[in-house]
Amino acid sequence: MTGVVLENLSWKKLSFLGICLLLLQLAFFLIGGLVAPAPSNVVTVIGTKCYDRGSVLHRNRWFIPRGRNACESLDSLDSSDAKIVDESITEKQVVFSFWIPGPRDGAERQMHPIFQSMLGVLDLDIEFDPANPVGREPTLQLDIRMGVRNKDDREDDWKLLAESVEDRTLQCALPAHDKAKGAYYNCELLQLFELGSVHHHFYLVNIRLPVNFVKGYNVGIGKVIDLTIHTIHQNGGFSYVWFSMKSAMFPMVLLVLVWFWRRITQLDRPANLLERTLFSLGIAMSILNLPLEWFSLSFNTPFMVLLNDIRQGGFYAMLLSFWIIFAGEHILDTVERNRLNLYWKHLSAVVFGCICLFIFEMCERGIQLKNPFFSIWVSAVGTKLALAFLILAGIAACCYFFFLCYMIFCVFRTIGTKRASLASMTSLRKSYYMGLIYRFKFLMILTLICAALTVVFFILSQFSEGYWKWADNEQRLEYSSAFFTGVYGMWNVYVFGLLSLYAPSHKTVVEIDAGDGSSEETVQLTDLPVTPTEASALQSFVSKAAQD
Amino acid sequence: MVGSTPLCTQLKGLSPGQIGLCQRYTDHMPSVGRGAQIGIHECQFQFQSRRWNCSIIEGDSSVFGPVLERASREAAFTHAISAAGVLHSVSRSCKDGELNSCGCSRARRPKDLARDWIWGGCGDNIEYGYKFAEVFVNIREKDKNHPRHSKELARMLMNLHNNHAGLRAVYNYAMVSCKCHGVSGSCSLRTCWQSLPNFREVGLRLKDKYDGAVEVKFNKRGTKLKRKNRKFNKPGKEDLMYLESSPDYCNANPETGSLGTVARECNRSSAGTDGCNLLCCGRGYNTFKRKVVERCHCKFKWCCYVECKTCEKIVDVHTCK
Repeated sequence: MTGVVLENLSWKKLSFLGICLLLLQLAFFLIGGLVAPAPSNVVTVIGTKCYDRGSVLHRNRWFIPRGRNACESLDSLDSSDAKIVDESITEKQVVFSFWIPGPRDGAERQMHPIFQSMLGVLDLDIEFDPANPVGREPTLQLDIRMGVRNKDDREDDWKLLAESVEDRTLQCALPAHDKAKGAYYNCELLQLFELGSVHHHFYLVNIRLPVNFVKGYNVGIGKVIDLTIHTIHQNGGFSYVWFSMKSAMFPMVLLVLVWFWRRITQLDRPANLLERTLFSLGIAMSILNLPLEWFSLSFNTPFMVLLNDIRQGGFYAMLLSFWIIFAGEHILDTVERNRLNLYWKHLSAVVFGCICLFIFEMCERGIQLKNPFFSIWVSAVGTKLALAFLILAGIAACCYFFFLCYMIFCVFRTIGTKRASLASMTSLRKSYYMGLIYRFKFLMILTLICAALTVVFFILSQFSEGYWKWADNEQRLEYSSAFFTGVYGMWNVYVFGLLSLYAPSHKTVVEIDAGDGSSEETVQLTDLPVTPTEASALQSFVSKAAQD
Repeated sequence: MVGSTPLCTQLKGLSPGQIGLCQRYTDHMPSVGRGAQIGIHECQFQFQSRRWNCSIIEGDSSVFGPVLERASREAAFTHAISAAGVLHSVSRSCKDGELNSCGCSRARRPKDLARDWIWGGCGDNIEYGYKFAEVFVNIREKDKNHPRHSKELARMLMNLHNNHAGLRAVYNYAMVSCKCHGVSGSCSLRTCWQSLPNFREVGLRLKDKYDGAVEVKFNKRGTKLKRKNRKFNKPGKEDLMYLESSPDYCNANPETGSLGTVARECNRSSAGTDGCNLLCCGRGYNTFKRKVVERCHCKFKWCCYVECKTCEKIVDVHTCK
């Protein structure tokens, strides 16, 4: 068994590395808090009510709210409105048209690939009319077409991106204090679409609400006044900061990973399980760090959101597996470990949980690649299915934490018994065990700090979300951005620290043969002798750890 | 924009300061006009059963006529609801993209980025509406300086306070909606936005404030207003305040601007303010029959043309003597 860098590093070097990593962590937090804007932005577009004139419906025509090819718009949908009465306009001839984004500062704005993804939520303004109230959870059927155009295209050249007929359940309630005619219902927001890439400049959404009395679609939905779409997209500024962070971290972690592997290949024994796990963790981190997102700026990559979720899931699965194996390898008993199949119970909990989440993710985001208007949550069966997968994943997570806690308990118990017998050991065997204990405690504390920080950041960011401020101009911390960059940076720093501190040290190579666990100890000191100063540093180190 | 736009000088009822604003922000004016409209409309809805029913006087530059020259509760309410209407309407126009200056967030973006909204999105519509409406309605009061203890100063302070109360009735009750969209749709990422409250709710809230309005007078130094009767609560920032008690609005009186309640329809069976007893100020009422043509047996859809039959019925109508 070899020592790791952590044990053989002088206090000075260790604190230097620690401070560097801490500063790096602080930098991540401040970059998110001070440089980056809020992670996402909302664009609200009120629908223009277009009139599809004529006796035949023009299902394949685009209705455009403004510009040279603007549709014939209706000011009001009220049944007493002069135009509605004169031309007997029916609900089938009304098309709600949305051009995303809306104009601002007197000019058309454009979407940008840097926005990464776009989520649309539908908000209905329904007026209370005693003669035509909203029924109990009526089915809203949306006949939706979505078109795209780029700024250099002809102004009427909208290309079809997706079309679908979608059912949503409408849930509305009247405010308790106001039941007079003209009051507005409070309706739940409805998920409309989710796009994995924002590759075009303009998006056009046309929605019809055709009534079908036989099948009960769009019946009893009250008196619809307006439709509004709120689209949420990632802010460009945040994307730039995020991509830059990834681009900076990728080579750093990769470099230390290569160094780590070189250390292992320099050993004259094959890598043990813990080293292989740590190496895999580094690989998972590097895969997550790989700044693939830059490609989305030049190519249409609707799968990017899905891919990012999978990459992130892969990293966290690897992290959880690493903790289990690390704890397991530090149980100081006589069982021969160093084999992956010893951990099949624990790892299968991780794998099972991940598979559940993966299936859920594929059902939601995977199908959205095909039909952006799909959501597993809108149908009753889908909701049950989604909940089933999430509950299974939750159970797997509970099992995992039970296993992990039990393992940590085992480690502490064996540490306790080993401590008692430390005095009777030879100094080298003693330092071997003390090294193990020190390594374990160090990682334990580091991990706890990281987990605590994640929770604290999360609470902070949730807290600031519902908090609305007056002046937008003054400098203030953008907590939600800081949460994302801070937590992301933190796990990078964590992996970076682990790779550099838990790499095999080549200062001393101590081999202890304690296979049979007898009192007979054969200790070999191989080629690199310990210099007196380093040995004393090691001693002080170990005694320090033992005092803890 | 240089030079005067004829539109602004032709508009009645604008103060010199407002004309200046009108010339600078011509594109805001249709929306300000709509705001005033919804304010009046809501005022009339809220007061339909009161002796003063928020009636407007055609062709009068002050819209509501001389009734508002008196610093009464009614004046307080109309100021508040007009300010609220302007805020509501300007915010909506801002969202619709009708306005030129309702801009995007300029906070902390790199200077070389041409299109700033890509960096951090656009500013909040409601906040812009608040700022614009505040300047627009208050500039009218701030046109002149008034000496201490003067009636004009008291009126100015009252109007400013009530304008703010109206703005707050919209701004402080903006609805915050949120959507979770983190990894796999979890709440690790949550985005919130504000939406305008319904104007009906604003009207209801201000009507409450009207009923609980506080009578105020000058403090000793003659610079600020304080409550007249210490038994009542101090007027808060959302409360309405007034200086003079209201006339009873029973009879037409050109001095107070009251139109009286003669010929107003009343409800014979009601004991409330719309009941014939109270509304007619005890003068009694006339009853006659009226034929009403109604649409009935309608087949309603969510919008548009409704197929109905017409029904006739005869109802009793009561009007004040």
